[in-house]
Amino acid sequence: MARKSYNLLVNIWFLFQITFVDTTYRSCYKAEVCYIYGEREMTDSKRIVVVSSSVLLFLFSSAFGAQDVAIRGGTILTMRDVPIEDGTILIKDGKIEALGQDVVIPADVRVIDAKDKFVIPGLIDAQSRLFVMDSELNEAGSVAPELNILDALDPFIKGHQEVSAQGVTAVYVAPGSHSLIGGRGAVLKLNGSKDVNRMLLKADVSVKAVIGTSSNNESSSLARLEHYSSIREALLATKVYVQKKEKYDRDLAEYKRKKAEYDKKDAGSQADKKDRPKRPAKFKTDPTYEILAKVLEKKIPLQIEAHRVADILNALRLADEFGFSLILDKCTEGYRIADEIARSKVPVVVGPVSTSFIDMPRLEYRHHDLRNAAILSQKGIRLALGVSGRAGISSKFITLAAAMAVANGMDKDATLRAITLTPAEILGVADRIGSLEVGKDADIVILSGPPLDTLTQVETVLVEGEIVFERKTQR
Amino acid sequence: MKKRIFLSLWITLSAFCHSATAGDRAQNFAIRAGKIWTVTDGVITDGVIIVRNGKIQAVRNKPDVPAKVKVLDMSDKHVMPGMIDAHCHIGLSLNILAEMDETVLAVAPDMQILDAFNPLADDVKKALRSGVITVLLAPGNKNPIAGQTAVVKLYANKTRDWVLRRNAGVKFSLRDEALMFDRQPTSRAGLMVLVRERLNEGKAHKAEEFDPAGEVLKRVVDADLPAYMCAYTVDEIASAMTIIDEYGLNAVLVGAEQGDEVVDMIAERKLPVIYGPLLLFSKDKDLRRAGTMAKNGVKLAFASAAPKTTLNDLRTSAILATRYGLSPEVALKSLTINPAEILGIADRVGSIQKGRDADLVILNGDPLQLTSGVEMVIVNGNIVYQRQEE
Repeated sequence: MARKSYNLLVNIWFLFQITFVDTTYRSCYKAEVCYIYGEREMTDSKRIVVVSSSVLLFLFSSAFGAQDVAIRGGTILTMRDVPIEDGTILIKDGKIEALGQDVVIPADVRVIDAKDKFVIPGLIDAQSRLFVMDSELNEAGSVAPELNILDALDPFIKGHQEVSAQGVTAVYVAPGSHSLIGGRGAVLKLNGSKDVNRMLLKADVSVKAVIGTSSNNESSSLARLEHYSSIREALLATKVYVQKKEKYDRDLAEYKRKKAEYDKKDAGSQADKKDRPKRPAKFKTDPTYEILAKVLEKKIPLQIEAHRVADILNALRLADEFGFSLILDKCTEGYRIADEIARSKVPVVVGPVSTSFIDMPRLEYRHHDLRNAAILSQKGIRLALGVSGRAGISSKFITLAAAMAVANGMDKDATLRAITLTPAEILGVADRIGSLEVGKDADIVILSGPPLDTLTQVETVLVEGEIVFERKTQR
Repeated sequence: MKKRIFLSLWITLSAFCHSATAGDRAQNFAIRAGKIWTVTDGVITDGVIIVRNGKIQAVRNKPDVPAKVKVLDMSDKHVMPGMIDAHCHIGLSLNILAEMDETVLAVAPDMQILDAFNPLADDVKKALRSGVITVLLAPGNKNPIAGQTAVVKLYANKTRDWVLRRNAGVKFSLRDEALMFDRQPTSRAGLMVLVRERLNEGKAHKAEEFDPAGEVLKRVVDADLPAYMCAYTVDEIASAMTIIDEYGLNAVLVGAEQGDEVVDMIAERKLPVIYGPLLLFSKDKDLRRAGTMAKNGVKLAFASAAPKTTLNDLRTSAILATRYGLSPEVALKSLTINPAEILGIADRVGSIQKGRDADLVILNGDPLQLTSGVEMVIVNGNIVYQRQEE
């Protein structure tokens, strides 16, 4: 609505311009001459303002006014259905308005030609560190789900444009792997905004916890037991907290009922002061347990980073005991117990697919196997791939990581889904991103060739219908 | 010390066993291949490679196989020469840092890295599975003159002559890592003085004197042995060139991260570059550097510097570079024939042609696609790795 009235305003302005085109031209010319010869007059400088503002308005209206875009002629990989050859996508107000082979493109729409190109949904890195400084990933305390990664983000961080340029349109950032329950993660869009609130797609995506990782290189079994029991302790304490809170709520309701009765009696001056009901002691809410209570209510999943077999089994055991929704993170040795994981029906974010993109691998990666993702995926486990790189910028290697999973036996289509739709589903944002469907956000990547081909280049990246990256024709 | 004795004993023993059996074990067979990436003679579609006594006897561009020869049918696969990692530190014990560098002596030209190499180490097996068959073993970067490098094949058990060159040249390090606070040199200038001092001593070395270090350095100064000059940044490369020019060394640049900035100087001196580890660099700018150097006529070979990055990453490095401007043809050469030529072993490995060792890597797709996986690795005509279906 706002845009429509804005467009109307612009049009009126242009009508005015056309009517006085001659005057404008002359004033423009005169202004230039005057400027060159230094004979600036008051009237002319006024005209300069008028002319330049009109030019600016024209530019603005062409940039924002014609925001509707159509992508025509490419092979569309929707991630939901079979590929659409020679299809068209119509984008309106940042959403996908129509999609298919027989979409009619309205007259006033900007058309992006994607003939002989591939069109895929924007890629999602479900294990990113983008926008987060390394030192800001971990808080020293052990159980701190009340921390929020949003408070540590730096939208000005270097290199996020390079990540965009490789087709990544959304990243999931979560606290690091040093503190036991490190806080809550968020899904961010790479829309070029410098405002965290405008980048944010979903906050409180999950609470991040770890079992069996360590800050230094020594991962002793003791630390692992401690991790497990500390998480369990925290969850048990949460149960007690919830019970206390429920009791308080009950007591309060009871008090209110009695108080009402008493007040009624009091009004009739029949009440005995001794019968006056006592208000229950005020309940002190605790931010830690408030969040963990949401985990137990399945409102927020618990994402547990576990690398080795024992740790993964412990994570599954915790989920069994407390019934929260679990997301297994990293799952380095998952291939060794693929059947157990498959049986639990827990979604997994596998990463790093390859240790190529991480520093001198830590002890947790000792049994890292490139076939991990392939084996888990063949067992029918819902799985997303992550780069989990040494720095935020590593997210740009997402397609390379995916290609390496294919090289080690993972199905190509499943691999593509594992960096688009599946992470969106696991992170609870599949209503907005992850596939090309009518009504979803127009986060779209146009590729020069088939995805996962090494020489395929990213041509254009759109986030909510706006172009955030366009490849220069000359390289 | 104990370990060293054990190791040398092991090596002699295994060498003895193999000389007796290797002839029997190496099979004679033919590989029918969908695509043969010969590297030196283009790509052959539907060809045959005939392997005899561990060598390539013939490469044919027709799918016919002579009678009575066992055939490996790889007609939907791609075959490339075994890859060569031109600079790495694998096969050392778990405490890598202790094995890689000599931290008490700053200069140790007579040190041989082969003495610390365990051919049965885990990372050696992993490297082989990724298709890397031949490597240049080098000491680390913490010594200005770090010791002698060696060229070995990674399959010691079944392969005769797995040591291709016991002394393939001397490694120099001009890296800031070579500067330490508790021993000389502590500064760049100090490092240069030390290197010059020792090279001068080498120059003055007389054959009748007993001085193993001097003897080695004399060969380096005489340009009889190559000098591997490890330098990453522009200033380190400049230091390397100063030494190379002053002594007229037969030199190879190692690392050369910022080599593209001084590419004219490198090309002018015809210095080959052992480039990498590329995967430690992740900015777009850095990933373009390899392509820029190759375009300017520098001969490139990739290196993983494993264990700094894993040896799997050798092919990944080359592929990544193609995404950022390196031509696929040069990328393939930089994994095979270029390192073979730089290391002086091109008569044995680095290409698929008659008379070369039968070191072959069989992939299920184009070698320069990350989606292609290694299916089989053959060293000297022995199948040493075969991928199992899960």
